[in-house]
Amino acid sequence: MNTPLIKLQGIRKSYTLGKVDVSALREVSLDIDAGEFIALSGASGSGKTTLLNLIGCIDKPSAGTIQLAGLDVTALSLSSLANLRSRKIGFIFQTFNLIPVLSAFENVEYPLLFAGRGCTQRRERVRQWLHHVGLENQARQRPDQLSGGQRQRVAIARAMVTQPDLVLADEPTANLDSDTAGQILDLMSQINRETGTTFLFASHDPRITQRASRQIHLHDGQIASDLILTETPWRFVNAH
Amino acid sequence: MLTRIALRNVFRNRRRSAITMVVLVVGATALILFGGYKEISFYGLRESTIRNRVGHLQIYKKGFLNSESQKPLEFGLENVTELRRAIENDARVEMTVPQISLMGLVTNGEKSETFLATGVDADKDQKMSAQRLVAGESISDKETDGVIVGELLARSMNVKPGDFLTLMTTTVSGSLNGLDVRVRGTFATGMKEFDERAIKMPLAGAQQLLQTQKIERLLVLLKKTDETDGVKTTLESQFVQNHWDLEIRDWSVLATYYHQVRNIFNGIFGFLGIIVFLIVIVSVANTIILSIFERTREIGTLMAMGTRRRQIWAMFFLEGLMIGVAGGFLGIAVGSAAGELINQAHIQLPPPPGYTTGYNLRIMLKPSILITVMVLSSITATLASVLPALKASRLKIVDALGHI
Repeated sequence: MNTPLIKLQGIRKSYTLGKVDVSALREVSLDIDAGEFIALSGASGSGKTTLLNLIGCIDKPSAGTIQLAGLDVTALSLSSLANLRSRKIGFIFQTFNLIPVLSAFENVEYPLLFAGRGCTQRRERVRQWLHHVGLENQARQRPDQLSGGQRQRVAIARAMVTQPDLVLADEPTANLDSDTAGQILDLMSQINRETGTTFLFASHDPRITQRASRQIHLHDGQIASDLILTETPWRFVNAH
Repeated sequence: MLTRIALRNVFRNRRRSAITMVVLVVGATALILFGGYKEISFYGLRESTIRNRVGHLQIYKKGFLNSESQKPLEFGLENVTELRRAIENDARVEMTVPQISLMGLVTNGEKSETFLATGVDADKDQKMSAQRLVAGESISDKETDGVIVGELLARSMNVKPGDFLTLMTTTVSGSLNGLDVRVRGTFATGMKEFDERAIKMPLAGAQQLLQTQKIERLLVLLKKTDETDGVKTTLESQFVQNHWDLEIRDWSVLATYYHQVRNIFNGIFGFLGIIVFLIVIVSVANTIILSIFERTREIGTLMAMGTRRRQIWAMFFLEGLMIGVAGGFLGIAVGSAAGELINQAHIQLPPPPGYTTGYNLRIMLKPSILITVMVLSSITATLASVLPALKASRLKIVDALGHI
C-alpha cells in the first residue's frame, strides 16, 4: 500500500479567545494521496482555514500528528518547516497576497530564491509558468495593474513554480466573479491533471467544491463527510 | 530580491517616506550648519588668538613659568638677536616678535586709570594686525614715546590722537618711573575688558619705562598652525644643543579662552546632536512600524513561502538603512547648499558677549562634519529600524496572514 502524501492522525487545534478555549479542530484524521484534487467545504468557522494552515506547516496542532510524505512535520523546527514549505508546498490565497512592489515575473520568481536554482534556470522556469497561466505578456506588470483573475493566475504560477507536491488554496475564488472563478478552477484542475500536483482548496461555494474529485466537508471542527467523485455519480466514502 | 523589495518599499508610501526624509534632512542640515558654524568659529578664534595675541610659540628664560618674579623682568630674556636669527632660519617660521608686558597707572593730569601695556616691535605688531586702528595712526619704532590706546581707555581718559598721557610703573630695580607719551592713535580688539585697559607702545619705550634692555618673551609665528608641534620639537632640541636656558610654550597651552569656548560649543553641539538623534529615531521607527502594520499580511505570505525570520528582519533593517543613507546624502546636499547660501549672503551677526564688534556669519563645510552627519544619519535610521524589524520577524505566520 502506498504511503499517503498527507496523513493526519487525531488532530486537535484549540485557541484561547480571552479566557475561553475554542476548539477549531477536534480529532481530525485524514489521508490524502498524491495527485488528488480536493475541495474542503464547510461554513465559516468550521475549521477549513485551520486545517489548511496545519497541513501547510504554518501552524502547529494542539495534539495529533501530521505526516507529509512520511515525515512527521509536527516535530520539526521553525527553520526546517520554512525549508519544507519552500520545497514541498505552494500557497494560493483568497486575497491573492502578491507582493505589491514586485512585478508579476518577480512575484513568481520569489519562491525559487529559496530553492537554490541558478538565475538562468530560475528565469526559464518563471517564463514557463507565466506562459502556462497565460500571462507572459503581463510579466512586467505589478499586481495593481492586473485584474483579480490575472492576480490569482500569478499566484497560481507562484505556487507552482517550485514544483511542489502540494498546493493549498484558501478560498481561491471568493474574491472573483463566477466566470473568472470558473476559469481559475479550470486552470487549477488542468495543472493538477498535467503535473500530478495535489490540490487542496477550501471553499464554501458549492459551485466550486462540486468541481473537485473529492470533497471533504467540515462541520464544527470535525469531518462531516468525505466524498470521492469519479465520473458520475458521487461516490460516498465516509461520513461521520 | 529582499534588497529590491526593501528598496521599492521605501518608495511605496511616498508621502510617509518623504516626511521621514524631510526629518532626516532637516536634522542633517541643522547639524551641518551648526557644526560648520562651530568649526569656522573655532578656526577664527584659534587663528586670531595665535596671530593677534599669543603667537604659535612663546619662548621664555628658564624659570619664568614656574617662579614668581619679585621684580619686573626678573626672568627676562637678554641679547635675543642670535636666538631670533636661529629661529627665523627655519623655513616654517614666519617671524619672531619680542614683547614686554607691563602694568601701571595712566593719568591725563586729572584722572588716573590702571593700564596693561604691551611693548612691541612696531613693524612686527602691524604685521600681526592684533588690533583695529579706530583713529590716528599706528605706533612707530622711530617715536619711542608714541603709543596707541584702547578705544575705551581713550574714551575714559578723554584723549584723542595728538594728546599726551603719563604712564607710571615699577622699574626692574623696583623704583617708580614715569614716562610722558603721545597718543598716536586709538584701537579696538573687540574685547571690551581689554580695550578698557590696553596700551601698545614701542618696545624701546617700554624698556625705557622699565629701565632695562631685556624683553619678557619672544613670540614665534609660523606659516601654518599645523606645524606648531614640529617646530616646537626642533626648537627644544636646538636649545639643549646650544645650552640655552630657555623654555617654550605652544599656543594651545596659552589659549585658555579658546579652549573654554571650544568646550562650550562642543557641549551645545553634542546636545543638539542628541535631540536630532532622538527625533530621527522616533520618526524612522514610526515609519517602519507603520510599514510593518500595513504589510503584516505580506510578511505572513513571505514567511509562508519559506522566507526565514532573519530575512524578514534583514528586509526591514535594510529599509531603515536605505532611508538613513538616502536621508544622509540628501541632508549633506541640502546642508552644504544652505551653508554656501549663508556664506554668500554675508549675514552680519551682532557682537558676542564681551566683544564690541560684530562679525560675518560663516559656515565651514568641513569634510569631517559631512562624513559625521552621513554616518550619524545612517546609524540612527538603521538603529531605529532594529526593534520594529525584530517585531516583524517574530510575527506568527497564521496571525500575519489573518491580519486585516
